[in-house]
Amino acid sequence: MTHAIEVSHLTKRFGEVLAVDDLSFTADYGKIVGFLGQNGAGKTTTLRILLGLSNATGGTTSVAGKPYARLEDPLGTVGAVLDGGKFHPGRTGLNHVRALALAAGLPQTRADEVLEMVGLSEAARRRAGGYSLGMRQRLGLAAALLGDPKILVLDEPANGLDPQGIRWLRDFLRHLASQGCAIVVSSHLLSEIAQTVDEVVVIGKGRSIAQAPINELMARGQGGIRVAGPDVVRLRGLLEADGAAVSGDASGLVVADRTGEQIGRVIAANAIVISELAQISQSLEDVFFELTDTATTEVPS
Amino acid sequence: MNRIISSELFKLRTTRTFYALAGSALGIVLLITVAAALATKFRGSDGNRPEDLLGIGNFAQIFALILGILAVTTEFRHGTITPSLLAVPDRVRLTLGKFGASLLVGLALGILSVGISTLLVLGLLSARGVDTDFPSGEVLYSVLGGILAVVLYAGIGVGVGAIVRNQVGAIVGALVWLFVVEGLLGIIPTVGDWISEYGPGGAGSALGDSSADRGSHTMDQLPAGLVLAAYCLLFLVVGVHMMRRRDITA
Repeated sequence: MTHAIEVSHLTKRFGEVLAVDDLSFTADYGKIVGFLGQNGAGKTTTLRILLGLSNATGGTTSVAGKPYARLEDPLGTVGAVLDGGKFHPGRTGLNHVRALALAAGLPQTRADEVLEMVGLSEAARRRAGGYSLGMRQRLGLAAALLGDPKILVLDEPANGLDPQGIRWLRDFLRHLASQGCAIVVSSHLLSEIAQTVDEVVVIGKGRSIAQAPINELMARGQGGIRVAGPDVVRLRGLLEADGAAVSGDASGLVVADRTGEQIGRVIAANAIVISELAQISQSLEDVFFELTDTATTEVPS
Repeated sequence: MNRIISSELFKLRTTRTFYALAGSALGIVLLITVAAALATKFRGSDGNRPEDLLGIGNFAQIFALILGILAVTTEFRHGTITPSLLAVPDRVRLTLGKFGASLLVGLALGILSVGISTLLVLGLLSARGVDTDFPSGEVLYSVLGGILAVVLYAGIGVGVGAIVRNQVGAIVGALVWLFVVEGLLGIIPTVGDWISEYGPGGAGSALGDSSADRGSHTMDQLPAGLVLAAYCLLFLVVGVHMMRRRDITA
Protein backbone atom coordinates (compact mmCIF):
# COMPACT_ATOMS: atom_id res chain seq x y z
CA MET A 1 0.00 0.00 0.00
CA THR A 2 1.26 3.47 -0.77
CA HIS A 3 2.19 5.67 2.13
CA ALA A 4 -0.14 8.54 2.95
CA ILE A 5 2.84 10.83 2.75
CA GLU A 6 6.22 10.05 1.32
CA VAL A 7 9.18 12.38 1.24
CA SER A 8 12.11 10.94 -0.64
CA HIS A 9 15.64 12.38 -0.81
CA LEU A 10 14.20 15.88 -0.67
CA THR A 11 16.63 18.75 -1.10
CA LYS A 12 15.92 22.47 -1.05
CA ARG A 13 18.53 25.14 -1.56
CA PHE A 14 18.02 28.84 -0.91
CA GLY A 15 21.05 30.40 -2.52
CA GLU A 16 23.99 29.30 -0.38
CA VAL A 17 21.85 27.73 2.31
CA LEU A 18 20.85 24.09 2.12
CA ALA A 19 17.56 24.24 4.03
CA VAL A 20 16.58 20.62 3.40
CA ASP A 21 19.28 18.05 2.75
CA ASP A 22 18.43 14.59 1.39
CA LEU A 23 15.45 14.22 3.71
CA SER A 24 13.30 11.09 3.60
CA PHE A 25 10.39 9.99 5.75
CA THR A 26 6.93 8.51 5.47
CA ALA A 27 3.60 8.75 7.25
CA ASP A 28 0.86 6.13 7.21
CA TYR A 29 -2.88 6.02 7.71
CA GLY A 30 -4.18 5.67 11.24
CA LYS A 31 -1.06 7.19 12.77
CA ILE A 32 0.00 10.56 14.06
CA VAL A 33 3.54 11.42 13.12
CA GLY A 34 5.36 14.16 14.97
CA PHE A 35 7.71 16.13 12.75
CA LEU A 36 10.27 17.52 15.13
CA GLY A 37 13.15 19.89 14.84
CA GLN A 38 14.44 23.10 16.29
CA ASN A 39 13.42 26.40 14.75
CA GLY A 40 15.06 26.71 11.36
CA ALA A 41 15.62 22.97 11.01
CA GLY A 42 13.65 22.92 7.75
CA LYS A 43 10.24 21.69 8.96
CA THR A 44 8.08 24.36 7.37
CA THR A 45 10.13 24.36 4.17
CA THR A 46 9.62 20.60 3.89
CA LEU A 47 5.87 20.88 4.47
CA ARG A 48 5.56 23.73 1.94
CA ILE A 49 7.27 21.63 -0.70
CA LEU A 50 5.09 18.65 0.22
CA LEU A 51 2.02 20.83 -0.37
CA GLY A 52 3.22 22.20 -3.69
CA LEU A 53 3.81 25.73 -2.41
CA SER A 54 7.56 25.69 -2.86
CA ASN A 55 9.52 24.00 -5.59
CA ALA A 56 12.02 21.32 -4.54
CA THR A 57 15.64 21.58 -5.63
CA GLY A 58 15.87 17.81 -5.74
CA GLY A 59 14.03 14.69 -4.61
CA THR A 60 10.33 13.96 -4.61
CA THR A 61 7.32 14.24 -2.35
CA SER A 62 3.96 12.55 -2.71
CA VAL A 63 0.64 12.69 -0.96
CA ALA A 64 -1.67 9.69 -1.39
CA GLY A 65 0.75 8.50 -4.06
CA LYS A 66 0.87 11.68 -6.15
CA PRO A 67 2.60 15.06 -6.07
CA TYR A 68 0.21 17.51 -4.40
CA ALA A 69 -0.25 19.63 -7.52
CA ARG A 70 -1.50 16.60 -9.45
CA LEU A 71 -4.20 15.58 -6.95
CA GLU A 72 -7.65 15.62 -8.53
CA ASP A 73 -9.42 16.53 -5.31
CA PRO A 74 -6.76 18.26 -3.17
CA LEU A 75 -8.99 19.35 -0.28
CA GLY A 76 -10.71 15.96 -0.23
CA THR A 77 -7.31 14.26 -0.01
CA VAL A 78 -5.24 16.47 2.27
CA GLY A 79 -6.12 19.11 4.81
CA ALA A 80 -3.32 21.41 5.87
CA VAL A 81 -2.69 24.32 8.17
CA LEU A 82 0.54 26.26 7.67
CA ASP A 83 1.72 29.23 9.73
CA GLY A 84 -1.25 28.87 12.04
CA GLY A 85 -3.63 29.52 9.17
CA LYS A 86 -3.75 32.83 7.36
CA PHE A 87 -6.80 35.04 7.00
CA HIS A 88 -7.86 38.37 5.63
CA PRO A 89 -8.54 40.34 8.83
CA GLY A 90 -11.59 42.03 7.31
CA ARG A 91 -13.29 38.83 6.19
CA THR A 92 -15.45 36.78 8.55
CA GLY A 93 -14.36 33.30 9.53
CA LEU A 94 -17.38 31.84 7.77
CA ASN A 95 -16.68 33.71 4.53
CA HIS A 96 -13.04 32.63 4.63
CA VAL A 97 -14.08 28.99 4.72
CA ARG A 98 -16.88 29.56 2.19
CA ALA A 99 -14.46 31.03 -0.37
CA LEU A 100 -12.34 27.87 -0.09
CA ALA A 101 -15.43 25.65 -0.31
CA LEU A 102 -16.44 27.46 -3.50
CA ALA A 103 -13.00 26.94 -5.03
CA ALA A 104 -13.09 23.24 -4.15
CA GLY A 105 -16.64 22.77 -5.41
CA LEU A 106 -17.96 21.85 -1.96
CA PRO A 107 -21.43 22.84 -0.74
CA GLN A 108 -21.66 26.03 1.33
CA THR A 109 -23.31 24.10 4.18
CA ARG A 110 -20.01 22.26 4.61
CA ALA A 111 -18.49 25.55 5.82
CA ASP A 112 -20.93 25.70 8.73
CA GLU A 113 -20.28 22.03 9.52
CA VAL A 114 -16.51 22.35 9.85
CA LEU A 115 -16.81 25.50 11.96
CA GLU A 116 -19.13 23.57 14.24
CA MET A 117 -16.60 20.71 14.42
CA VAL A 118 -13.87 23.01 15.72
CA GLY A 119 -16.23 24.86 18.04
CA LEU A 120 -16.18 28.16 16.19
CA SER A 121 -19.86 28.49 15.24
CA GLU A 122 -20.51 31.43 17.51
CA ALA A 123 -17.65 33.52 16.15
CA ALA A 124 -18.23 32.48 12.54
CA ARG A 125 -19.85 35.75 11.51
CA ARG A 126 -17.21 37.96 13.09
CA ARG A 127 -14.21 39.35 11.24
CA ALA A 128 -11.19 37.06 11.60
CA GLY A 129 -9.01 40.06 12.51
CA GLY A 130 -10.59 40.06 15.95
CA TYR A 131 -9.96 36.37 16.62
CA SER A 132 -7.63 35.20 19.37
CA LEU A 133 -4.62 33.08 18.43
CA GLY A 134 -6.48 29.96 19.55
CA MET A 135 -9.50 30.86 17.43
CA ARG A 136 -7.25 31.39 14.42
CA GLN A 137 -5.77 27.94 14.89
CA ARG A 138 -9.27 26.52 15.01
CA LEU A 139 -10.31 28.42 11.90
CA GLY A 140 -7.27 27.10 10.08
CA LEU A 141 -8.18 23.60 11.19
CA ALA A 142 -11.77 24.11 10.04
CA ALA A 143 -10.51 25.04 6.57
CA ALA A 144 -8.29 21.95 6.56
CA LEU A 145 -11.24 19.71 7.39
CA LEU A 146 -13.47 21.10 4.59
CA GLY A 147 -13.02 18.25 2.16
CA ASP A 148 -13.15 15.56 4.87
CA PRO A 149 -9.57 14.50 4.03
CA LYS A 150 -7.86 11.31 5.15
CA ILE A 151 -4.51 13.06 5.50
CA LEU A 152 -3.80 16.07 7.68
CA VAL A 153 -0.64 18.19 7.70
CA LEU A 154 -0.45 20.64 10.55
CA ASP A 155 2.47 23.02 11.02
CA GLU A 156 2.92 23.94 14.69
CA PRO A 157 -0.80 23.54 15.44
CA ALA A 158 -0.32 23.97 19.17
CA ASN A 159 1.26 27.42 18.82
CA GLY A 160 -0.81 29.94 20.70
CA LEU A 161 -3.18 27.39 22.19
CA ASP A 162 -3.81 27.48 25.92
CA PRO A 163 -3.53 24.21 27.89
CA GLN A 164 -7.23 23.53 27.36
CA GLY A 165 -6.83 24.14 23.64
CA ILE A 166 -3.87 21.76 23.46
CA ARG A 167 -5.89 19.14 25.29
CA TRP A 168 -8.77 19.66 22.87
CA LEU A 169 -6.44 19.44 19.87
CA ARG A 170 -4.86 16.25 21.20
CA ASP A 171 -8.24 14.56 21.66
CA PHE A 172 -9.43 15.80 18.28
CA LEU A 173 -6.38 14.45 16.44
CA ARG A 174 -6.56 11.15 18.34
CA HIS A 175 -10.17 10.84 17.25
CA LEU A 176 -9.28 11.49 13.60
CA ALA A 177 -6.39 9.01 13.72
CA SER A 178 -8.66 6.37 15.19
CA GLN A 179 -10.85 6.85 12.13
CA GLY A 180 -7.91 6.01 9.91
CA CYS A 181 -6.48 9.44 9.15
CA ALA A 182 -2.79 9.97 8.63
CA ILE A 183 -1.68 13.05 10.51
CA VAL A 184 1.64 14.88 10.42
CA VAL A 185 2.14 17.43 13.18
CA SER A 186 5.24 19.56 13.22
CA SER A 187 6.61 21.06 16.39
CA HIS A 188 9.79 22.42 17.90
CA LEU A 189 8.65 21.29 21.33
CA LEU A 190 8.73 17.56 21.91
CA SER A 191 6.79 17.79 25.16
CA GLU A 192 3.94 19.47 23.33
CA ILE A 193 3.27 16.48 21.12
CA ALA A 194 4.89 13.56 22.95
CA GLN A 195 1.54 12.47 24.32
CA THR A 196 -0.21 12.82 20.99
CA VAL A 197 2.01 11.14 18.44
CA ASP A 198 2.67 7.51 17.57
CA GLU A 199 5.82 8.10 15.62
CA VAL A 200 8.46 10.78 15.51
CA VAL A 201 10.58 12.10 12.67
CA VAL A 202 13.39 14.24 14.03
CA ILE A 203 15.26 16.57 11.71
CA GLY A 204 18.17 18.91 12.27
CA LYS A 205 19.76 21.24 9.73
CA GLY A 206 17.49 19.81 7.07
CA ARG A 207 18.66 16.25 7.59
CA SER A 208 16.72 13.33 9.00
CA ILE A 209 18.11 12.31 12.37
CA ALA A 210 15.65 9.66 13.37
CA GLN A 211 12.31 8.18 12.43
CA ALA A 212 11.00 5.87 15.10
CA PRO A 213 7.92 5.01 17.11
CA ILE A 214 7.69 7.32 20.09
CA ASN A 215 8.12 4.38 22.50
CA GLU A 216 11.38 3.41 20.89
CA LEU A 217 12.62 6.96 21.12
CA MET A 218 11.64 7.02 24.78
CA ALA A 219 13.49 3.76 25.34
CA ARG A 220 16.66 5.41 24.07
CA GLY A 221 16.31 7.85 26.90
CA GLN A 222 16.09 5.21 29.58
CA GLY A 223 18.64 5.67 32.28
CA GLY A 224 18.27 2.27 33.98
CA ILE A 225 16.39 0.92 37.00
CA ARG A 226 16.51 2.54 40.37
CA VAL A 227 16.26 0.32 43.46
CA ALA A 228 16.09 1.55 47.06
CA GLY A 229 15.55 -0.13 50.42
CA PRO A 230 17.34 -1.20 53.64
CA ASP A 231 19.14 -4.13 52.02
CA VAL A 232 20.39 -2.69 48.75
CA VAL A 233 24.04 -3.23 49.56
CA ARG A 234 23.43 -6.96 49.63
CA LEU A 235 21.45 -6.73 46.39
CA ARG A 236 24.33 -4.86 44.81
CA GLY A 237 26.70 -7.68 45.66
CA LEU A 238 24.36 -10.25 44.14
CA LEU A 239 23.82 -8.25 40.95
CA GLU A 240 27.50 -7.51 40.50
CA ALA A 241 28.31 -11.19 41.01
CA ASP A 242 25.97 -11.74 38.03
CA GLY A 243 27.92 -9.20 35.97
CA ALA A 244 25.43 -6.32 36.05
CA ALA A 245 26.55 -2.69 35.87
CA VAL A 246 25.50 -1.13 39.15
CA SER A 247 26.12 2.34 40.48
CA GLY A 248 24.85 4.30 43.46
CA ASP A 249 25.21 3.79 47.21
CA ALA A 250 23.33 2.54 50.25
CA SER A 251 20.57 5.10 49.72
CA GLY A 252 19.74 3.67 46.32
CA LEU A 253 21.15 1.75 43.36
CA VAL A 254 20.95 2.36 39.67
CA VAL A 255 21.18 -0.74 37.49
CA ALA A 256 21.95 0.05 33.89
CA ASP A 257 21.64 -3.26 32.07
CA ARG A 258 18.92 -5.30 33.74
CA THR A 259 15.17 -5.07 33.33
CA GLY A 260 12.90 -4.45 36.29
CA GLU A 261 11.70 -8.02 36.09
CA GLN A 262 15.21 -9.49 36.15
CA ILE A 263 16.06 -7.48 39.23
CA GLY A 264 12.73 -8.42 40.79
CA ARG A 265 13.54 -12.10 40.42
CA VAL A 266 16.87 -11.64 42.19
CA ILE A 267 15.09 -9.76 44.95
CA ALA A 268 12.44 -12.47 45.33
CA ALA A 269 14.93 -15.35 45.20
CA ASN A 270 16.97 -13.79 48.00
CA ALA A 271 14.07 -12.42 50.05
CA ILE A 272 15.44 -8.88 50.02
CA VAL A 273 13.28 -6.06 51.38
CA ILE A 274 13.06 -3.06 49.04
CA SER A 275 11.12 0.17 49.19
CA GLU A 276 11.37 1.22 45.57
CA LEU A 277 11.90 -0.28 42.13
CA ALA A 278 11.48 2.16 39.30
CA GLN A 279 12.44 2.88 35.72
CA ILE A 280 14.49 6.04 35.39
CA SER A 281 13.51 7.99 32.31
CA GLN A 282 15.64 10.67 30.93
CA SER A 283 13.19 13.35 29.88
CA LEU A 284 12.15 13.18 26.26
CA GLU A 285 13.33 16.72 25.95
CA ASP A 286 16.85 15.53 26.82
CA VAL A 287 16.68 12.83 24.17
CA PHE A 288 15.52 15.40 21.67
CA PHE A 289 18.34 17.78 22.51
CA GLU A 290 20.86 14.97 22.37
CA LEU A 291 19.65 14.00 18.91
CA THR A 292 19.49 17.50 17.50
CA ASP A 293 22.79 18.53 19.09
CA THR A 294 24.51 15.61 17.41
CA ALA A 295 23.17 16.82 14.10
CA THR A 296 24.32 20.34 14.75
CA THR A 297 27.84 19.36 15.71
CA GLU A 298 28.21 16.84 12.90
CA VAL A 299 28.02 19.56 10.30
CA PRO A 300 30.92 21.98 10.59
CA SER A 301 29.98 25.45 9.44
CA MET B 1 -12.48 27.11 -13.85
CA ASN B 2 -15.97 28.46 -13.13
CA ARG B 3 -15.74 27.58 -9.46
CA ILE B 4 -12.34 29.24 -9.16
CA ILE B 5 -13.76 32.42 -10.68
CA SER B 6 -16.79 32.36 -8.41
CA SER B 7 -14.52 31.79 -5.40
CA GLU B 8 -12.40 34.77 -6.47
CA LEU B 9 -15.48 36.96 -6.92
CA PHE B 10 -16.67 35.85 -3.48
CA LYS B 11 -13.29 36.77 -1.98
CA LEU B 12 -13.51 40.22 -3.52
CA ARG B 13 -17.01 40.97 -2.32
CA THR B 14 -16.40 39.78 1.25
CA THR B 15 -13.95 42.56 2.08
CA ARG B 16 -14.67 46.21 2.69
CA THR B 17 -11.69 47.35 0.61
CA PHE B 18 -13.49 46.23 -2.53
CA TYR B 19 -16.61 48.26 -1.78
CA ALA B 20 -14.59 51.28 -0.70
CA LEU B 21 -12.58 51.22 -3.89
CA ALA B 22 -15.43 50.51 -6.30
CA GLY B 23 -17.63 53.00 -4.44
CA SER B 24 -15.07 55.79 -4.56
CA ALA B 25 -14.41 55.08 -8.24
CA LEU B 26 -18.09 55.52 -9.06
CA GLY B 27 -18.52 58.38 -6.62
CA ILE B 28 -15.64 60.41 -8.00
CA VAL B 29 -16.56 59.76 -11.62
CA LEU B 30 -20.22 60.65 -11.12
CA LEU B 31 -19.51 63.70 -8.97
CA ILE B 32 -17.09 65.13 -11.50
CA THR B 33 -19.43 64.29 -14.36
CA VAL B 34 -22.29 66.20 -12.75
CA ALA B 35 -20.08 69.14 -11.78
CA ALA B 36 -18.50 69.34 -15.21
CA ALA B 37 -21.78 68.94 -17.07
CA LEU B 38 -23.35 71.74 -15.04
CA ALA B 39 -20.43 74.15 -14.91
CA THR B 40 -18.56 73.84 -18.20
CA LYS B 41 -19.08 76.72 -20.60
CA PHE B 42 -19.41 75.80 -24.24
CA ARG B 43 -18.93 78.74 -26.51
CA GLY B 44 -18.23 78.50 -30.20
CA SER B 45 -15.01 77.16 -31.62
CA ASP B 46 -12.63 78.45 -28.93
CA GLY B 47 -14.57 76.94 -25.99
CA ASN B 48 -14.87 73.39 -24.70
CA ARG B 49 -16.52 70.77 -26.83
CA PRO B 50 -19.44 68.90 -25.25
CA GLU B 51 -17.95 65.56 -26.34
CA ASP B 52 -14.88 66.19 -24.16
CA LEU B 53 -17.07 65.40 -21.16
CA LEU B 54 -17.74 61.90 -22.46
CA GLY B 55 -14.31 60.74 -21.34
CA ILE B 56 -14.82 61.30 -17.61
CA GLY B 57 -15.97 57.70 -17.02
CA ASN B 58 -12.57 56.53 -18.22
CA PHE B 59 -11.07 57.49 -14.86
CA ALA B 60 -12.46 54.16 -13.67
CA GLN B 61 -9.53 52.57 -15.53
CA ILE B 62 -7.18 53.47 -12.67
CA PHE B 63 -9.52 51.98 -10.08
CA ALA B 64 -9.92 48.83 -12.15
CA LEU B 65 -6.14 48.56 -12.35
CA ILE B 66 -5.90 48.79 -8.55
CA LEU B 67 -8.70 46.24 -8.07
CA GLY B 68 -6.85 43.82 -10.33
CA ILE B 69 -3.63 44.38 -8.40
CA LEU B 70 -5.48 43.81 -5.11
CA ALA B 71 -7.00 40.53 -6.35
CA VAL B 72 -3.48 39.05 -6.30
CA THR B 73 -1.49 41.07 -3.79
CA THR B 74 -4.05 40.98 -0.97
CA GLU B 75 -3.57 37.21 -0.84
CA PHE B 76 0.17 37.64 -0.49
CA ARG B 77 -0.16 40.47 2.01
CA HIS B 78 -2.34 38.46 4.37
CA GLY B 79 -0.88 35.07 3.52
CA THR B 80 -4.24 33.74 2.33
CA ILE B 81 -2.48 32.66 -0.86
CA THR B 82 -1.48 29.54 1.11
CA PRO B 83 -5.01 28.22 1.81
CA SER B 84 -6.08 29.39 -1.65
CA LEU B 85 -3.35 27.33 -3.30
CA LEU B 86 -4.11 24.35 -1.10
CA ALA B 87 -7.64 24.41 -2.55
CA VAL B 88 -6.40 25.12 -6.09
CA PRO B 89 -2.83 23.77 -6.26
CA ASP B 90 -2.34 24.71 -9.90
CA ARG B 91 -0.88 28.21 -9.66
CA VAL B 92 -1.62 28.91 -13.32
CA ARG B 93 -5.31 28.06 -12.89
CA LEU B 94 -5.57 30.14 -9.73
CA THR B 95 -3.99 33.13 -11.48
CA LEU B 96 -6.28 32.69 -14.48
CA GLY B 97 -9.25 32.49 -12.09
CA LYS B 98 -8.21 35.81 -10.58
CA PHE B 99 -7.78 37.20 -14.09
CA GLY B 100 -11.28 36.08 -15.11
CA ALA B 101 -12.88 37.41 -11.93
CA SER B 102 -11.11 40.75 -12.32
CA LEU B 103 -12.25 41.09 -15.94
CA LEU B 104 -15.83 40.57 -14.75
CA VAL B 105 -15.43 43.14 -11.98
CA GLY B 106 -13.86 45.48 -14.53
CA LEU B 107 -16.82 44.94 -16.84
CA ALA B 108 -19.29 45.83 -14.10
CA LEU B 109 -17.26 48.85 -13.04
CA GLY B 110 -16.85 49.95 -16.66
CA ILE B 111 -20.54 49.66 -17.48
CA LEU B 112 -21.50 51.55 -14.35
CA SER B 113 -18.96 54.35 -14.55
CA VAL B 114 -18.72 54.91 -18.30
CA GLY B 115 -22.40 54.17 -18.91
CA ILE B 116 -23.86 56.29 -16.13
CA SER B 117 -21.37 59.08 -16.73
CA THR B 118 -22.33 59.22 -20.41
CA LEU B 119 -26.05 59.17 -19.68
CA LEU B 120 -25.62 61.95 -17.13
CA VAL B 121 -23.62 64.11 -19.54
CA LEU B 122 -26.19 63.68 -22.30
CA GLY B 123 -29.10 64.28 -19.94
CA LEU B 124 -27.67 67.30 -18.15
CA LEU B 125 -26.38 68.96 -21.32
CA SER B 126 -29.68 68.62 -23.12
CA ALA B 127 -31.42 69.96 -20.00
CA ARG B 128 -29.12 72.98 -20.26
CA GLY B 129 -29.98 73.30 -23.90
CA VAL B 130 -26.43 72.51 -25.09
CA ASP B 131 -26.33 70.86 -28.50
CA THR B 132 -25.60 67.16 -27.94
CA ASP B 133 -26.10 66.14 -31.52
CA PHE B 134 -22.75 64.29 -31.72
CA PRO B 135 -21.72 62.53 -34.91
CA SER B 136 -23.60 59.26 -35.24
CA GLY B 137 -22.01 56.31 -33.47
CA GLU B 138 -19.49 58.51 -31.69
CA VAL B 139 -21.18 58.20 -28.31
CA LEU B 140 -21.79 54.48 -28.68
CA TYR B 141 -18.19 53.74 -29.72
CA SER B 142 -16.81 55.91 -26.93
CA VAL B 143 -18.91 54.05 -24.39
CA LEU B 144 -18.00 50.60 -25.71
CA GLY B 145 -14.31 51.49 -26.00
CA GLY B 146 -14.36 53.05 -22.55
CA ILE B 147 -15.89 49.93 -20.97
CA LEU B 148 -13.39 47.69 -22.76
CA ALA B 149 -10.51 49.86 -21.53
CA VAL B 150 -11.70 49.49 -17.91
CA VAL B 151 -11.94 45.70 -18.38
CA LEU B 152 -8.44 45.47 -19.86
CA TYR B 153 -6.99 47.65 -17.11
CA ALA B 154 -8.41 45.27 -14.48
CA GLY B 155 -6.68 42.43 -16.35
CA ILE B 156 -3.39 44.35 -16.48
CA GLY B 157 -3.72 44.81 -12.70
CA VAL B 158 -3.75 41.04 -12.15
CA GLY B 159 -0.60 40.65 -14.24
CA VAL B 160 1.14 43.48 -12.39
CA GLY B 161 0.11 41.97 -9.04
CA ALA B 162 1.45 38.55 -10.00
CA ILE B 163 4.77 40.11 -10.99
CA VAL B 164 5.09 42.54 -8.06
CA ARG B 165 3.51 40.67 -5.16
CA ASN B 166 4.15 43.43 -2.66
CA GLN B 167 0.86 45.30 -2.48
CA VAL B 168 2.20 48.76 -1.81
CA GLY B 169 4.99 48.30 -4.33
CA ALA B 170 2.61 47.14 -7.06
CA ILE B 171 0.07 49.94 -6.57
CA VAL B 172 2.64 52.70 -6.14
CA GLY B 173 4.65 51.38 -9.07
CA ALA B 174 1.62 51.28 -11.35
CA LEU B 175 0.46 54.77 -10.39
CA VAL B 176 3.95 56.24 -10.65
CA TRP B 177 4.28 54.75 -14.13
CA LEU B 178 0.95 56.18 -15.28
CA PHE B 179 1.21 59.61 -13.67
CA VAL B 180 4.93 60.31 -13.45
CA VAL B 181 7.02 58.11 -15.73
CA GLU B 182 4.83 58.40 -18.82
CA GLY B 183 4.75 62.15 -18.27
CA LEU B 184 8.53 62.41 -17.82
CA LEU B 185 9.27 60.23 -20.83
CA GLY B 186 6.93 62.56 -22.75
CA ILE B 187 9.56 65.28 -22.43
CA ILE B 188 12.07 63.32 -24.49
CA PRO B 189 11.54 63.92 -28.21
CA THR B 190 10.45 60.91 -30.32
CA VAL B 191 10.35 58.61 -27.26
CA GLY B 192 7.78 60.93 -25.75
CA ASP B 193 5.57 60.79 -28.83
CA TRP B 194 5.88 57.04 -28.93
CA ILE B 195 4.98 56.66 -25.22
CA SER B 196 2.02 59.00 -25.37
CA GLU B 197 0.72 57.15 -28.41
CA TYR B 198 1.54 53.53 -27.62
CA GLY B 199 2.11 53.49 -23.83
CA PRO B 200 -0.50 51.84 -21.59
CA GLY B 201 -1.84 55.22 -20.51
CA GLY B 202 -2.10 56.57 -24.05
CA ALA B 203 -3.66 53.40 -25.38
CA GLY B 204 -6.23 53.43 -22.56
CA SER B 205 -7.28 57.01 -23.28
CA ALA B 206 -7.39 56.40 -27.02
CA LEU B 207 -9.59 53.32 -26.62
CA GLY B 208 -12.21 55.30 -24.72
CA ASP B 209 -12.32 58.16 -27.21
CA SER B 210 -13.97 57.87 -30.60
CA SER B 211 -14.15 61.55 -31.43
CA ALA B 212 -12.93 62.50 -34.88
CA ASP B 213 -10.92 65.44 -33.61
CA ARG B 214 -8.09 63.63 -31.84
CA GLY B 215 -4.60 64.67 -30.89
CA SER B 216 -1.78 63.95 -33.33
CA HIS B 217 -0.30 61.15 -31.23
CA THR B 218 -3.46 59.22 -30.52
CA MET B 219 -4.29 55.87 -32.07
CA ASP B 220 -7.69 55.07 -33.49
CA GLN B 221 -9.92 52.96 -31.25
CA LEU B 222 -9.26 49.62 -32.94
CA PRO B 223 -5.45 49.73 -32.83
CA ALA B 224 -5.65 51.24 -29.34
CA GLY B 225 -7.78 48.29 -28.21
CA LEU B 226 -5.35 45.82 -29.74
CA VAL B 227 -2.34 47.52 -28.16
CA LEU B 228 -4.01 47.59 -24.73
CA ALA B 229 -5.05 43.94 -25.09
CA ALA B 230 -1.45 43.12 -25.97
CA TYR B 231 -0.24 44.84 -22.79
CA CYS B 232 -2.84 42.88 -20.82
CA LEU B 233 -1.69 39.60 -22.33
CA LEU B 234 1.99 40.43 -21.85
CA PHE B 235 1.56 41.22 -18.15
CA LEU B 236 -0.57 38.09 -17.70
CA VAL B 237 1.95 35.79 -19.38
CA VAL B 238 4.88 37.21 -17.42
CA GLY B 239 2.80 37.16 -14.21
CA VAL B 240 1.76 33.52 -14.68
CA HIS B 241 5.36 32.58 -15.42
CA MET B 242 6.54 34.30 -12.22
CA MET B 243 3.79 32.64 -10.17
CA ARG B 244 4.93 29.26 -11.43
CA ARG B 245 8.60 29.82 -10.89
CA ARG B 246 8.73 31.51 -7.51
CA ASP B 247 8.08 29.82 -4.19
CA ILE B 248 4.97 30.85 -2.33
CA THR B 249 6.41 32.09 0.94
CA ALA B 250 3.75 34.48 2.18
